[in-house]
Amino acid sequence: MTTGQSRADGVAWAAGVCAGLAAAGVTHVVYVPDNPLSHVLSELEKYPRIRTTLATREEEAFGIAAGLYLGGVQPAVMLQSSGLGNSLNALTSLVLPYQVPMLILISMRGDAGEWNSAQVPMGKAVAPILDAMGIPHTTVSSAEATAATVELMARTAFETRLSGACLLPRRLTAPSVQAQAHA
Amino acid sequence: MTRLDATRLLVRSLGEDAKTPVIASLGHPAYDLFAAGDRPANFYTWGSMGLASSMGLGLAMARPDLRVVILDGDGSLLMNLGSLATIGWTRPKNLVLIVWDNQSYATTGGQDTATAHGADLAAAAAAMGIQQSVTVRTPADFEAAVARTTAMAGPWVIVAKVEESPPASKPPLDCVLIKHRFMAAIM
Repeated sequence: MTTGQSRADGVAWAAGVCAGLAAAGVTHVVYVPDNPLSHVLSELEKYPRIRTTLATREEEAFGIAAGLYLGGVQPAVMLQSSGLGNSLNALTSLVLPYQVPMLILISMRGDAGEWNSAQVPMGKAVAPILDAMGIPHTTVSSAEATAATVELMARTAFETRLSGACLLPRRLTAPSVQAQAHA
Repeated sequence: MTRLDATRLLVRSLGEDAKTPVIASLGHPAYDLFAAGDRPANFYTWGSMGLASSMGLGLAMARPDLRVVILDGDGSLLMNLGSLATIGWTRPKNLVLIVWDNQSYATTGGQDTATAHGADLAAAAAAMGIQQSVTVRTPADFEAAVARTTAMAGPWVIVAKVEESPPASKPPLDCVLIKHRFMAAIM
């Protein structure tokens, strides 16, 4: 797959995600793929102790992750922001009331650098929706900060049993947006 | 065979086994599991319609040493049919998905589900690669199917055609309590 991102620097954020997951003790990632997250999946091949499972839909991913936690695993769910809408009932009637913690990694669409107007309404709604549900969230600011941000959010989630989200903005994950930002 | 009758047969099959987890879909499947025999290794969902099979899949992957039993409903499974595809792909040997198929949304007033009009959930499971998929209609066949899940590798899907029976009791409402006692029981 050609994305324009060089292995040397372009996927540093993805390597950071994986390092943060591993440092926080995440051992299973359940996901619905999107293009930026494919870099995380490639990097995860360097972490044989972290298993991955692909779900057909985001709500299903949260259900699988909840079951993993009940079995003693510290899980993460990776999704594109468009899939947060598919996840709300799982979050509000399972993950939150049963206090089942997991790290939620959201690859953002609809934020700065978006080209597809159909992605914009949900992209703009992600943070307010997370706020409305009481799910803590933070936006990863740079490739250098990714590992520490992911680790801190995951550790906090597992210790408090309140799931938390890391948002991966397009200025971090999309090479065309990076090029513009740095021009 | 009513759903409560069948649930009692399942609980009886567990005997003194306090460790086998049973995850029940919200509404009548959870109510009947509680009525048939409350035990700490029962997980009663109070929401997240459709996700019982997904939770069971996650637990089955995390704990391959346990036989994970899921009590789903036909309406609930229809809401998350993709779960069958994921189970068919991952094929955990220790997953037993029991679908109480009363051909209706009984908890919400008895509206027909698609299984009342030809949808075949065992065939769907088989089509998704879950080879051990059966439909049973009698108590004897249900008991025999459950017994096979202890002797042969899964994943299993047992679609039990059941009659509706009004639930008589409800499980504890404290979600966090349900979780903690469940996790302690299966440790």
